[in-house]
Amino acid sequence: MASILLEKVGKVYPNGYRAVENLDLEIAEGEFLVLVGPSGCGKTTVLRMIAGLEEISTGDLKIGGAVVNDLEPKDRDVAMVFQNYALYPHMTVAENIGFALKLRKLPKEEVRRKVEEAAEILGLSEWLDRKPKQLSGGQRQRVAMGRAIVRSPKAFLMDEPLSNLDAKLRVKMRSEVRRIQERLGVATVYVTHDQVEAMTMGDRVAVMRDGVLQQCDTPQQLYDHPVNQFVGAFIGSPAMNLYEAKLGPDATVISLGSQTLRIPESTFARRPALRGFAGRMVTVGIRPEDLSVAIPGGPTDGSLITEVQLLEALGSEMMVHFSIDANLVTEEAAAEEEEDILVHKGEGVARVAPDLTVRTGETLMLQVAMERIHFFDPETTWAIW
Amino acid sequence: MPDLPGKQEKLTVIAERVEAPPRPEAKLRRDSHTRRMARVGWAMSTPALVFVGLVTIFPIAFSFVLSFSNVVVSGSGFALENPTFGNYSELFHSSVWRYSLAFTIFYTVVTVLVEVVLGTMIALVVERLTKGRGLMMSLLLLPWSMITVISAELWQYIFEGTYGVLQAIFQAVGLGSPVFLGTPTSAVVAMMVADIWKTTPFVAVIVVAGLVMLPGEIFEAASVDGASGWTTFFKITLPLLRPTIAIAVLFRILQAFGLFDLPFVLTGGGPGTATTSLAILSYKVMFEDIAYGPGAAVAVSATLLVILGSLAFLKVFRSQVGREDVQ
Ligand SMILES: Nc1ncnc2c1ncn2[C@@H]1O[C@H](COP(=O)(O)OP(=O)(O)OP(=O)(O)O)[C@@H](O)[C@H]1O
Ligand SMILES: [Mg+2]
Repeated sequence: MASILLEKVGKVYPNGYRAVENLDLEIAEGEFLVLVGPSGCGKTTVLRMIAGLEEISTGDLKIGGAVVNDLEPKDRDVAMVFQNYALYPHMTVAENIGFALKLRKLPKEEVRRKVEEAAEILGLSEWLDRKPKQLSGGQRQRVAMGRAIVRSPKAFLMDEPLSNLDAKLRVKMRSEVRRIQERLGVATVYVTHDQVEAMTMGDRVAVMRDGVLQQCDTPQQLYDHPVNQFVGAFIGSPAMNLYEAKLGPDATVISLGSQTLRIPESTFARRPALRGFAGRMVTVGIRPEDLSVAIPGGPTDGSLITEVQLLEALGSEMMVHFSIDANLVTEEAAAEEEEDILVHKGEGVARVAPDLTVRTGETLMLQVAMERIHFFDPETTWAIW
Repeated sequence: MPDLPGKQEKLTVIAERVEAPPRPEAKLRRDSHTRRMARVGWAMSTPALVFVGLVTIFPIAFSFVLSFSNVVVSGSGFALENPTFGNYSELFHSSVWRYSLAFTIFYTVVTVLVEVVLGTMIALVVERLTKGRGLMMSLLLLPWSMITVISAELWQYIFEGTYGVLQAIFQAVGLGSPVFLGTPTSAVVAMMVADIWKTTPFVAVIVVAGLVMLPGEIFEAASVDGASGWTTFFKITLPLLRPTIAIAVLFRILQAFGLFDLPFVLTGGGPGTATTSLAILSYKVMFEDIAYGPGAAVAVSATLLVILGSLAFLKVFRSQVGREDVQ
């Protein structure tokens, strides 16, 4: 049990590519840190540096207080779940899972017990005698997970460990992983592309982009107070709708295209800097879940008249893809999942109750939760507050 | 994989039943086409087949026939008389043949073992090289690419008993002047050294190829799991290299068992019969003693033994580590 501390850690690959820059990150003992970011932003590189598989170009890595930059992977006592499993092809599932324990000279009986326990948790008991080649992708991934969770290392490093499992199994595994991690109290860095995993599993979530840490905070803080447009758009699914908008001369109203929304007084208490943007262009971020169908005849100073482009009924809710005449701001790097691509086509998306009776091409009045909208500086993309 | 004859039989039966009788005209058309293609194929490969038949199959078959015949040599040629098992019983009772067999097996086992161990070690080093790997590989292949007779001549200069290089060195450091090819033990050792020098690089190159094919992440996984260099080698590298090494070993067994050029040039099979391999023995019996029947019997026995040995080896190796083990 130990904490992990990254101090101004950077990675320059031999070809000159700067994969990670100046990364400051602390993962406390027993903490579960989720690392997210678009593909190629350097998540795997960070894990590999912590594991010792990749040389640290600049900065210091401390595990349990001691600088371990020059320590061999085998001496760092961390367990890693590799993105592409890296199972030992010539060993059975049981041997794969038990390998690290055997190396630590644990009694045979104890190795067997621990392996069986892990296999039980992972639903692999039936396959203990199989070779990796004879397993499905999801089963292999669970073996990779098993190799980590049988150990009680100083740190867990998990690189998208559940990406290949079906939805049901994934939900089960999430809680199992957290349970084991909490029981062992091991500092964990967990890479995922899954929004739900990031939000539900992490004590804190670190968002990276192009090798640079954007923000590291609790999931709720990240969702409520993204520091910049990128984090705003990256966290949350479907992604936040971003529009070019103009703040009125006295900063009490904001115009999106031809429509005007009134900014409630409370906003300025939370975002004092917003007044400074009076009369200037800003980027407005509205989360799909902060839009709702307006009640006919209700107040109109916080609502948008939209044209419905596409409806996606998901059973428990409905995604309304709509268009307004405001200019869309695209956060390309954040657009990763398929649904985000759809969003760009439809210009905006609202997440509303499923009992909506409207058809494509029709006009729909959407109520904006004005106190929850986000403002970003269009020049720096930083949040305005 | 254990054979499942019963299952296979069933499958064939089903396949036969399922096959629908083809419509007559379709059958006709397809058949004439197939037949025409087949004719073309045969026509084009006939020269090659005839050639292969003449240079390999015929001699093998002929020596097989010879080995079971009483060959009578006369001024006008030779005649095969009375099929007989006599050549073989002569063999089995001959102490020279038994020595030759033992020597050949011993020589094969020792050289192949040393070559595989050394070759693997060299391969592990070469594979780690980040610079000049290609150059290193070409250098390694030099001894291997040299014609054996020529490299044997080179070693002859080294081991020679009056002005040999090695003897000069021994003299210079005051170790006397041994005649390396003059005593049975030293002659065998000298020959093994020459063989190992020539063939270790071949094994090394094959093993490098095998190493390069291994997935890199599993070594990373092993190091994260806490494996030291040695453990990684014995628990990961070696088991995964087994198929590769097995192929190298197989090649080497086939070659070493046919040992001929080295003793032919270096010792002529001597001193005495110390380095008489089965191939040398066969040659001597056939062309020095002009005893074609027994000579052929030696050759055939050697061939059969090496085939049986290889099959046994393949069987063991297959059941230990099949191809399916490498992803
Ligand atoms: N050995 C290497 N040499 C040079 N560049 C590399 C090397 N390995 C990775 N990179 C680059 O570093 C960047 C970060 O890679 P990394 O594997 O850490 O991304 P990632 O965030 O894990 O992506 P993904 O989500 O797709 O797994 C990528 O742009 C990649 O091209
Ligand atoms: Mg990755």
